[in-house]
Amino acid sequence: MSDDEDIPVKKSKQIHYGSLEEQEKARLAALAAAAKEGVEETGGQDLGDIQISSEYMELEEEMSRDKKALLEEFERRRKARQLNVSTDDDEVRRSLRQLGEPVCLFGEGPAERRVRLRDLLSYLGEDAIHKKLEEEEARIERDRGREGTWYHEGPPELRDARLWIARYSLPRAKRRLNKAREELKLAGSVRAAAKQESQRRASAISTYCSQVGDSRPISFCRFSGDSKMLITSSWSGLSKIWSVPECTPLQVLKGHTCNVSAATFHPAATIPDHFLEKINAVKDSEEGQLAMDTSGDSTSVCSMASCAYDGTVHLWNFVSEAPIASLPGHSPSRVARAEFHPSGRFLATTVFDHSWRLWDLETAKEVLHQEGHAKPVYSVAFQGDGSLAATGGMDAFGRVWDIRTGRCVMFLEGHLGPVQGIDWAPAGHQLATAAADNQAKIWDLRRRAPLYSIPSHTHLLSDIRYQRSHGHFLLTASYDKSAKLWSNPAWHPLRTLSGHDNKVMSADISADNKYIVTCSYDRTFKLWAPELS
Amino acid sequence: MALQLSRREVDELRSSLDRAIYRTIGKSDNSLLSTVSSCLTNGYERRKFIDKISSHIDPKKASKLTDKVLALAQELVTSSKPQKRKHEPSDRDRDIKKTRHDDREKHEEEKRHDREEKEKKLGNGVEALPLPSIMPDGETVGSKMSVLSADRIKLMMANAQKEIEERKRALIAMKGDHKPGVNVAVAAAQQIKVQMQQNNAIPPPSVIKPVLYSKPAAVPVSQEELEKQRKIAELQARIQRKLAGGALSSAGGSGPAPLILDTEGRTIDTTGKRVQLTHVAPTLKANIRAKRREEFRAQLSGQVSSEPPADAGWMDSRVQLKPPTRTKRALRFHEPGKFRQMAERLRMKAQLEKLQNEISQIARKTGISSATKLALLAADTPDSDRVPDIEWWDSVILMTADERECKRKPDTDTRTGEQRVDACNTGDDDIIDNLNEDAITNLVEHPQQLRPPTEALKPTYMPVFLTKKERKKLRRQSRREAWKEEQEKVRLGLEAPPEPKLRISNLMRALGTEAVQDPTAIEAKVREQIAKRQKTHLEANKARALTKEQKREKVDRKIREDTSMGVHVSVYRVKDLFESASAKFKVEVNAQQLHMTGCVVLHRGCCVVVVEGGPKQRAKYKRLMLHRIKWEEDMVKDTEGNEVANSCQLVWEGVTKQRSFGEIKFKVLPTEKQARELFQKHGVEHYWDLAYSGAVLGSGVDDV
Repeated sequence: MSDDEDIPVKKSKQIHYGSLEEQEKARLAALAAAAKEGVEETGGQDLGDIQISSEYMELEEEMSRDKKALLEEFERRRKARQLNVSTDDDEVRRSLRQLGEPVCLFGEGPAERRVRLRDLLSYLGEDAIHKKLEEEEARIERDRGREGTWYHEGPPELRDARLWIARYSLPRAKRRLNKAREELKLAGSVRAAAKQESQRRASAISTYCSQVGDSRPISFCRFSGDSKMLITSSWSGLSKIWSVPECTPLQVLKGHTCNVSAATFHPAATIPDHFLEKINAVKDSEEGQLAMDTSGDSTSVCSMASCAYDGTVHLWNFVSEAPIASLPGHSPSRVARAEFHPSGRFLATTVFDHSWRLWDLETAKEVLHQEGHAKPVYSVAFQGDGSLAATGGMDAFGRVWDIRTGRCVMFLEGHLGPVQGIDWAPAGHQLATAAADNQAKIWDLRRRAPLYSIPSHTHLLSDIRYQRSHGHFLLTASYDKSAKLWSNPAWHPLRTLSGHDNKVMSADISADNKYIVTCSYDRTFKLWAPELS
Repeated sequence: MALQLSRREVDELRSSLDRAIYRTIGKSDNSLLSTVSSCLTNGYERRKFIDKISSHIDPKKASKLTDKVLALAQELVTSSKPQKRKHEPSDRDRDIKKTRHDDREKHEEEKRHDREEKEKKLGNGVEALPLPSIMPDGETVGSKMSVLSADRIKLMMANAQKEIEERKRALIAMKGDHKPGVNVAVAAAQQIKVQMQQNNAIPPPSVIKPVLYSKPAAVPVSQEELEKQRKIAELQARIQRKLAGGALSSAGGSGPAPLILDTEGRTIDTTGKRVQLTHVAPTLKANIRAKRREEFRAQLSGQVSSEPPADAGWMDSRVQLKPPTRTKRALRFHEPGKFRQMAERLRMKAQLEKLQNEISQIARKTGISSATKLALLAADTPDSDRVPDIEWWDSVILMTADERECKRKPDTDTRTGEQRVDACNTGDDDIIDNLNEDAITNLVEHPQQLRPPTEALKPTYMPVFLTKKERKKLRRQSRREAWKEEQEKVRLGLEAPPEPKLRISNLMRALGTEAVQDPTAIEAKVREQIAKRQKTHLEANKARALTKEQKREKVDRKIREDTSMGVHVSVYRVKDLFESASAKFKVEVNAQQLHMTGCVVLHRGCCVVVVEGGPKQRAKYKRLMLHRIKWEEDMVKDTEGNEVANSCQLVWEGVTKQRSFGEIKFKVLPTEKQARELFQKHGVEHYWDLAYSGAVLGSGVDDV
């Protein structure tokens, strides 16, 4: 207590609204005294009556800090509210794991977990997960790049098959080269004349006949090796054999339950006797009263193959309507094309599981399961010697494989759409690819380089075929309802085959150069022949 | 129609302009008015005028307003025509002055001249009368100008004249022998005449008396000035004397100094002394020749001038007269047999044409035509003629000569390994003997898989679209959250509570007693609040709206397409794109606006348009080429000279990896080869091949 208190305070009856100075002074004095006492208690007395303390509480600052924190909290909550967090619990768990947080707390349900993740993200920032994901992806990409080429050991039958193919292809290659040399000995004018004649015939081609092939789009057509038969496959699941050029239906192959994507003849398949009889019978009696005679003995060998969207591959002969065998192992992936090796012993199938397979038909075993494309493999073609195979995939690349060593000997890079068709020139060192970027490209294997690109159609190209005997011209089929013929080394347009009402799905040139067949989405196929007066 | 008005004139017009604007758009607009007046001062053409104005108002009104304004301006100009005319020459003079900056002296002289002329114009014939008080025509000059400024003009003119006088005097004082390049008329109007002039017996006519500028006697001048004048007069007299007595050589008049040669052809001066002329030796052949010619001419003229003409008194000896000469015309004969040759050639040509026609007719009949055309095209590269001994892919699995040697069984074969390999590969021996079985394994290769070029690095996801109901729900929820947060903040004292929202309808309820006490003030307050609310709302809207640039950017962004995954290319062939300017314009501008690249090749008979861009751009451009431009409406000449309708065909469209051309450009290429080379340079010769072969083969290929 201080002595100030001794001063008597006059107390008036009136309520005094004047200055509070005195009161305030008294209060301050009391405070100071209290402080002094405190000091006296702890330490000695030094400053007499006046007590000065530099310590004071910054109320304002404290308050503003609190306020700031609160506002920040509000801001964070607002951000959290705007965050998009998946409602899928699995994804929430995955995100939590990526962030290195406990995936599940005791007694926590999906909703709480989601709230927890949202809270976390509001602290870390929304792109925390994305950043992590990106890092991961980059790492995967790097690893993929580092992976490179690797090998695994195939079955022992593979080596046998390869040796067999080597022994088969080498003499053929030698023969082919010898023939090419001999042809070179001929005068240039003779060769040019032959070429001109054949191109002249090509440019005079017009419709020969048109035939409704099925009740659904015709997906594929091919001539037989002797040019007497034609096989068409349809989306109805049926494949049909027709006589050329009469277009008499000879046989119906029933076995597929869904869209047949391709059907081809065995290279050695020739028209059997009972088909000839059938043709004659039709010719004799226009009414078509005929009894089928199926007493073929040599016709029981495999002479056709077909593949379908559900991954079934069937082998057929000329006698029965049902398949004689089927090659399992593709399902459920779609098989886009099936192609016989020139020897007829092997069959290649391209599958939508990013691989293509080589089957030994003698043992009905898969000898090679080849990967290499990043997307479904679509088209395949064997070189005339039987030594190389070219495949085109939906990844817009083509690959040329040496079947005997199993290596990819050439990488065809340049297209910008799925490679839908691929074919080898009879000369053996050139091949043509048709792709969905509306271009066809010619590649040279000797130089391992692209030679030319033909901007050929205004819609995707579905098929491409060389003239079978000399490769004097090229046939391209396209979804722009037309097929076109191109002269060989200059790649000038020779003729446009237009007449179909819808996409042309496939086309082929017969081995004897007399006919061209195109089949279309409009359920018809057309035969084309040079019209020379 | 370009009218340029001075600022003052425009100021004068301002009120009428304002009225015109008010009449056109229904209100007065200051910014528009200022634009209009700036347009007038700049003297814009009508179209540009409209352009300028239409940034303020819509074009229809703009054109109307422009017409009105221009009419007003025209009126003003016609009413002040004389003044206008007066301005023009001085302008022209200024232009002339601009071009001459080379010679300083000359320039100054010119300036003086200019000033003089201006003076004359301004003074309207009252030469050099510096004081406005004795310039009666001053009124008429500025009469059409604003009346207010007439005095000012007078004053200014007086000042200017005074200044000019001063300057002139200074100049004359500075160099006594200045050149008299001034108007004779001006000289004649001088108040003080040089007396010596009369004394001169025969003054050379081209020597113009130096002009002396002085003030009229009427003007009271200071003693100093008089002194100066006297001095000048004296000086001038001296010059005159010198000129009259002096030789021609000292006359630095307009002509060059006459060349005087003595009997030996050497240059001499008037006193007969030999003069060494400075020789500039030309180095160029052409210059040497020119110089020689000049020298020769000079010699000729010198000879001419050396003999004095009979009437020397009337002739200026320095004027070079060309002696009238007549060029000799030689007879020219045609070579014998020339016309016969020409006729022969014509006959041959006709015959050849006839023959070709016949052949083509026959060819058409037999159908060789297209084959020959193909042969003509024949860019046929020769087949790679060399056939290798063995294909490289086969050689991998064959034994080499060394391996063959190693494996050789001890037998009687005397050939070397190499020979035997050759025998196997190309000769009669069975090639299978040479098969290297070790090279064939049962290993299956897994080559590195490459990312397809059309597949993006990152998968693109479809944006999720919500139904209207869902969108509403989301909005409701988020707004409620925001509102709650706001409430929370207020409750925590972080923010001041918003003042009560007052409307006319809730005014009584919200502030009951106050409203009763002073309803007018309260209503004013409420109205103010309402206005403020609306203002903030509108401002928020305005802030959210895209600026002009952003808008343009948005439109641009919508047109732009990503072509990193493949460029969509279309090739069109037009029969003739040479003549039709509008089509050319459309072809170019549309490509530019769609941000497409490409190339247009104009070649007789086959014009090719190649454009590259995204799929949408391509589709738009296709529509332009095949539908919007009516090609068949204009007639063009085909190769035979017949009039046929123009046409455009789509030759090809497809996808390529990258663009091969830059900004669209037109190229006129007369020959097929050049055109192909152009395309080859860009790596796309196949476009040209296809388009051109289609044009050459005609309908044979592309018929339907």
